[in-house]
Amino acid sequence: MSALYIQALTNNAMKRILFSILLAGPSLLFGQGSQVNTQGIKALGMSGAGSALFVDESSIFYNPGALSKMEGNAVSVGGSAVMYRSAFRETGSADTYHTKFQISPPFSLFTTFGPKESWWKAGLGVYTPFGGAVDWGTEWPGRYELNSLQLRAIYIQPTLSFKLTDQFSVGGGFVYNIGLVDLSRSLPVFFADGSPGQAQLSGTGTGMGFNLGAHYHLDNEVAISLSYRSKVVTKLKDGDAKFTVPTSVAASFPNTTFDAELPLPASFNLGISFPLSPKVDIAVDGTFIGYDVYKSLDFDYKDNTPVLQDTHQPKKYENAFSGKIGINYKTGDHLALRAGGGYVYTPVNGPYVSPETPDNNRIMGSAGFTYNISDKWDITGAYVFQRIQARTVTSATSGLRGAYKTNIHAPGLSLTYKW
Amino acid sequence: MVTIMKKSNTEISFFLSLFVSILSVSSCAPDFDDFDQNSSGQSQVDFSKYIAVGNSLTAGFADGGLYLEGQQAAFPNIIAAQLKSVGGGEFMSPFFAEEQSNGSGYIRLKGFVNDLPVTENVTDKLAIRGMSPTQRPLYTKYTNEIQNLGVPGMRLDMAFVAGVGSVYGNSYFERLLTDDKTETETYFNFATTKGHTFFSFWLGNNDVLGYATNGAYHDPNDPTTALTEAGLFANLYTNFIEALTAGERKGVVATIPDVTVVPYFNTVTTARLEAGVSAATQGQFSKIYITTSNGVRMATDEDLFPLTFPADTLGKAVIFGNPATAGYGLIEQNPLHDKFVLDRDEVMEITTHIETLNNTIKSVAENKELALADAHDYLHLVKNGLTLSGIDISASYITGNVFSLDGIHLTPMGNAIMANLFIDAINLKYSTNIPRVDITKYRAVILP
Repeated sequence: MSALYIQALTNNAMKRILFSILLAGPSLLFGQGSQVNTQGIKALGMSGAGSALFVDESSIFYNPGALSKMEGNAVSVGGSAVMYRSAFRETGSADTYHTKFQISPPFSLFTTFGPKESWWKAGLGVYTPFGGAVDWGTEWPGRYELNSLQLRAIYIQPTLSFKLTDQFSVGGGFVYNIGLVDLSRSLPVFFADGSPGQAQLSGTGTGMGFNLGAHYHLDNEVAISLSYRSKVVTKLKDGDAKFTVPTSVAASFPNTTFDAELPLPASFNLGISFPLSPKVDIAVDGTFIGYDVYKSLDFDYKDNTPVLQDTHQPKKYENAFSGKIGINYKTGDHLALRAGGGYVYTPVNGPYVSPETPDNNRIMGSAGFTYNISDKWDITGAYVFQRIQARTVTSATSGLRGAYKTNIHAPGLSLTYKW
Repeated sequence: MVTIMKKSNTEISFFLSLFVSILSVSSCAPDFDDFDQNSSGQSQVDFSKYIAVGNSLTAGFADGGLYLEGQQAAFPNIIAAQLKSVGGGEFMSPFFAEEQSNGSGYIRLKGFVNDLPVTENVTDKLAIRGMSPTQRPLYTKYTNEIQNLGVPGMRLDMAFVAGVGSVYGNSYFERLLTDDKTETETYFNFATTKGHTFFSFWLGNNDVLGYATNGAYHDPNDPTTALTEAGLFANLYTNFIEALTAGERKGVVATIPDVTVVPYFNTVTTARLEAGVSAATQGQFSKIYITTSNGVRMATDEDLFPLTFPADTLGKAVIFGNPATAGYGLIEQNPLHDKFVLDRDEVMEITTHIETLNNTIKSVAENKELALADAHDYLHLVKNGLTLSGIDISASYITGNVFSLDGIHLTPMGNAIMANLFIDAINLKYSTNIPRVDITKYRAVILP
């Protein structure tokens, strides 16, 4: 029995015992947690209500069917500063961790084309219906689930709308979506100084869908809005996966590419508005969101190793509903003031709540104004505050136990030019 | 028109001030006001002077040695830090000095050769002050007041024997004693005279482990390979706890983990050895023969081999006085020596014995109203695999994250997990509010 034999024996005795670290699927999600509807700053001032009330260029998003009821044309540019701050406390711990303060800036651009007071109107919308940024850092108990995540979905929507009668109009748009994602998480492999490794995934993808709507109003200005936004499946292709790990295991974590699919949910909206007095209008909107499209998140890595396997992560989202109500007060020819409130049911089951969208039912309140600077120019501002209620969960995938709580502040401003 | 504008301006300024007030009221980050803290208020337990009584696990032994980083991450030290918010005081440990931070020396991972871990010895910055008459290392003394009283290798049966702290005995205990005490002090007396208000007590493992790691073979020349008899264990355990609880003092005790849950005994398996033998001898030999109390037989998957199994002796000619043949361990006529295998009957014997001792520990804990950290049950859960805070935890060597490179002692992360087990037990028993520790702050095995 030679030394060679010993080597062979040892090799075989201990081979394949190493590195069953499965890289659990990073959960990318354009989910509700990142959904703050700030496309139209007028509607933002009423917590998202107003799809039936506001007939203007932002109808491209809220209800393409209402667009043809616009008399003239307009272009508006809007932006908001979504400040999303979450807190986490591990069960039994005394320490609370916060996401870093950062502002994610959703923007929107709406413009209409077409003859004045015609039976049709065309429009183009570029907006960000989903998206957000969350940065927990590398020093919190969920570091092996997530360090930071940035998501953005940009929808580009050419739209056409027709009046069937003076009171009833329909419309539709084609949606082309560009999705961007960038996330990082710690990996439980340790360098000589005791610090963990890290995985970084980033990529862009595209998807397509549509937006349909119908708008009906009576002479006394009671209006009804029905709209449907289809799901948009964003296919991420050849995203970059980079791993920072100790040299001895670098071969197990090759820098590679990945493919993934992100379904953005469909939604169905019903809105009603009616006047309380010549100056005051009430708008109510109910939205049903088809989140059950989000059943799992699957990652397909181009280069697989025993450690780096394709992943399948159950999400099991449920369909959700939100209700919003707002009041619009026209003080005179120049100024409208508005306020609103809403309640949103979460689509996320407790065990599937994750740090990128620590979701729960949420309440919101808002205020806003529009000031007519001149016949041509309007300026609209709004402020919405959302509180995602505290929720104590045990993650089905990571076993992380703790409570999340989130506040969202979103001031927004838009400028409209009419002709 | 002017009046309208004026009115509007007033409304705008009102509105803007409303905006500003919303911003200033709610811009702060969310917080948890009263986060499921125990509502019973101040606990009745006095944590002001906590002592930790135990063996290598209490001392923070890891990677086959006692060194500063392991000492700092020892579970009692983690617990002591968590006790600060509930009235805990200073917690002193016999830390090695920075310039001798590698203490006894330890092993680290050098790399992987064909996916196999290769370790190397860390031999710089040692705290070895000389050699004992029996040529064992003696360590730099630390005789200041301490509260982490963990002594690697300490056994319950030896805790009552004077002289264990001498240069002929346990070097880690000798290190903690002034020269005038080494011959006379018992560990029992050492541990029970610190004026503590609260204690953790985790002794007993080595009363079984020494025997188990020697293949359930009691070497007559080595008392650390003896199996402490159950009746003696019960008497000594009761005596120790009586002394520690005198004056209604509270504490937490822990059970003895099963030997089969540590990588030390579940990494080198019969199947792996057989596969290695087959490959190395082109199939000429494929079985392992072992010596058991019921005679010689082929090894099965119920027989356990230690992580340190000397594979290089397999197939050699003369081992342990059997002159007959070559093929040590590979042929029936030249089986492995009893001490290199924990055969299934021995596993059964040890498992049963541990159960008996644990029953003693549990009944003493109940009688004395002590918290019980059931390490035995918990490590069985770990063996089956758990996911904690996104980390896969198991009894696998290196990748299981809980056990250090020696396959028996804990990584810093393993110590943090153990600290939470103790904290949960104390909170449960005494309705206290000791905060749990975030295990993700601690590393597992370092990879090169």
